[in-house]
Amino acid sequence: MKEEQKNLIIFGVLAAFILFAWTPIMHYFMPPATNPAPVVEQGEIVTPAQDQADPAADTATAIRDRTIVLGETPRVRIDTPSLSGSINLKGARIDDLVLKEYKETVEKDSPPIRLLSPSGTEGAYFAGFGWRGTGVTAPAADTLWQASGDLLAPGKPVTLTATNGSQRYRIDLSVDQDYMFTVRQTVQNAGGTPIAVKPFGYVSRRGKSTDQDLWVAHVGPIAVADAVADYVDYKTIEKEPSTYDTTGGWAGFSDHYWQTALVPDQGVPVSLKLRSGGNDQYQADYEARDAVQVAPGEQVVQTSRFFAGAKETRLIDSYEENLKIVEFDKMIDWGWFGIVEKPIFYYLDWLFRMVSNFGVAIILLTITIRLLLFPIAHKQFQSMASMRAVQPKMKALQERYKEDKPKLQQEMMKLYKEEKVNPLAGCLPMFLQIPIMFALYKVLILTIEMRHQPFILWIRDLSAPDPLTPMNLFGLIAWDPPGFLHIGVVPILLGVSMFFQIRLNPAPMDDMQKQIFSIMPWVLMFMMAPFAVGLQIYWITSNLLTIAQQTWLYSRHPQLKTKPAG
Amino acid sequence: MIAKLLILLARAWQIGPSAILPPSCRYQPSCSAYAIEALRRYGALKGSWLAAKRIARCHPWGGHGYDPVP
Repeated sequence: MKEEQKNLIIFGVLAAFILFAWTPIMHYFMPPATNPAPVVEQGEIVTPAQDQADPAADTATAIRDRTIVLGETPRVRIDTPSLSGSINLKGARIDDLVLKEYKETVEKDSPPIRLLSPSGTEGAYFAGFGWRGTGVTAPAADTLWQASGDLLAPGKPVTLTATNGSQRYRIDLSVDQDYMFTVRQTVQNAGGTPIAVKPFGYVSRRGKSTDQDLWVAHVGPIAVADAVADYVDYKTIEKEPSTYDTTGGWAGFSDHYWQTALVPDQGVPVSLKLRSGGNDQYQADYEARDAVQVAPGEQVVQTSRFFAGAKETRLIDSYEENLKIVEFDKMIDWGWFGIVEKPIFYYLDWLFRMVSNFGVAIILLTITIRLLLFPIAHKQFQSMASMRAVQPKMKALQERYKEDKPKLQQEMMKLYKEEKVNPLAGCLPMFLQIPIMFALYKVLILTIEMRHQPFILWIRDLSAPDPLTPMNLFGLIAWDPPGFLHIGVVPILLGVSMFFQIRLNPAPMDDMQKQIFSIMPWVLMFMMAPFAVGLQIYWITSNLLTIAQQTWLYSRHPQLKTKPAG
Repeated sequence: MIAKLLILLARAWQIGPSAILPPSCRYQPSCSAYAIEALRRYGALKGSWLAAKRIARCHPWGGHGYDPVP
C-alpha cells in the first residue's frame, strides 16, 4: 500500500511538472510553429559603427522609409522568376531583394517576403564586394559605380565599373533562375607601380532574425570551413568574432526558411569571419588570405558567388553538386541525422508532387513507414498466439511464485526458453522507431516545402498550429485564448485518437502505468497543440493505423482477445 | 569517466521511460542492466560495444532467455 501511495505522489509531481514546465522547455528545445513574419527591427536611432577594420560598416544613423532610400541612389533593377529588387550603384551593394514566390502570410494579398533591404531602412540587410590592398585606393561605400545596363536577369548580366586613382575596378554580376548570384571581380592596374590586392565580400544585417533558434533547427550566423559547418549564436559573435581559415567553404546568415550565403572561390584560401559591429549589427564576410600582386598593365580576376533566397532542399543540393560548393546543404540544419532525414524528405517531396496536397503526402508517408514496421507487430502477435499453448504451464508458475516476483521472472524466462516462444518484442524495435520518428519530425520542421501549404477545409497552412479552436466557439466569440488554452480542433482529434489507441493495448499490470496511460492522451493533446498541423496529421494518421492494425491482428488471432499472461 | 556517464544514462532510462513503457525484455538481465554491468566491468569502449551488440539481438526474431555479460 505504502509503495503504491509513493508511486502516486511521484506520478502526481511528474504530471504537474510536465504540465507546467513543458511550455518553457519546449520553447527552448523545440519550435512552436515557425513565425513567418519578416525581419523587423526597432526604429531606434543608431550611431555609426566605429570599427574601421570592418570591410563594410553600416553607417546609417536613423531608420527611414524604404521607398525614399531606394529612390535616392541610382540602381540596377533585378528581375528573375524568383527574385525582384535592385542593386545600389552607390557602393555596389545588393541591398533590395524580395522573394517573389513566398508570401509573408497565407492571405491572397500578402506582400512577398523581403530578404534584403538597404542600409538605413527597417531590417537593413545587404551584401557587397570589394578589394583591400596596399598601394591602392579601393572603391568605398560611397563610390558611385557605372552600370552597363539597367536590368539584371537570367542571361542578362550587368557589369559595374569604377575608376579610383589609376586602377580600374570591375564587377560582373549575373544571376540564375533561382537564388544564386555570380560575382566576378576584376582589378586592372593602369598605374605605373605594382599593387597587391585582396578581394573580399560581406553580407551585413541589422537586427537578428525574428525566427526562433531551435534545438532542432538553427537560426543564426553560419560558416562552413574545412568541410565542417559551424552553427553559431548571435550572442557568441557579439562577444568575440568567429574566424575560420579555410579553402572551400562559405559563410552567411540562416533564418528558419531564408538564407544568405557568401561563397568565395572554392579553390582559393580565404578567411571567413562572423562578427558583430555592435548596435545590433552583424556581418559575415570572407577575404582572400593572400594578396595578389598585379604588375602595371596587368589585371587579376576572382569569381565568387552570393546566395540569397529560400532554403529549398532540392535546389540547395543541386547547387552543392553542380557548383561544387563544400557542404552547401548544411544551411538546412539536418544535423547528424541527415542520412535518415534526406531520404524521408525526398520521398515526401515526391509524394507531394504526385498528389499535390502536402497533407495527403504526409498521410501517405506515414502509411509507408507503418507498412515497413508492420512485420514487427505481426511477428509479435504470432508469438503471442503461440504463447497460448504454454498458458497452462504459465498459470502454474504464477501460482507457485506468487510471492517471489524475481523468481517468477526467471522461471518464466526458463519456460519461454524450453518452449521456444517469447511474446515480447525486445527493445531494438523501439530503438529503431525512435530515430525514424525523430527524422520525420525534423523533416516536417525544416522543410520550407510545407510552408503555407493547405490541407483540407480550414487548414490553410500545415506549418502553423490549427487556428480553429472550440475555446472561443470557433472564432464566434471575439476572444483570443491564451497560448496554452488555444487547443485547436486537430489537436483534439489527436487526443481522441490517442485515447482509443491506448485503450486497444493490453491493459498494463501496474497501477501507476494504468494511470499514466489514462491521462497521457490529454497531456499530449495540450503538448502538441502549439505544433504545426502537419506534425499533428502525421501523429493522428499513425494512431489510426495502429488502431486498424491492432484490430486486424486481433481478428486474425481471436484467442488473444483475453489478456495474455506476462 | 565516460563509462560513469553512460551508466548514469542507462540508469536514467531505467527509472524514466522504461518504468512507464510496457515490459519488453526478452533477455535476462534486461538490456539496461546488461549495459550497466558491461560498462562497469569493461569500461566505456568495450562496454558500449557489448551493450550495442546486446540491443541488436533484442528483437522479435532474436534470441531470448538468460544472457549475462561475458
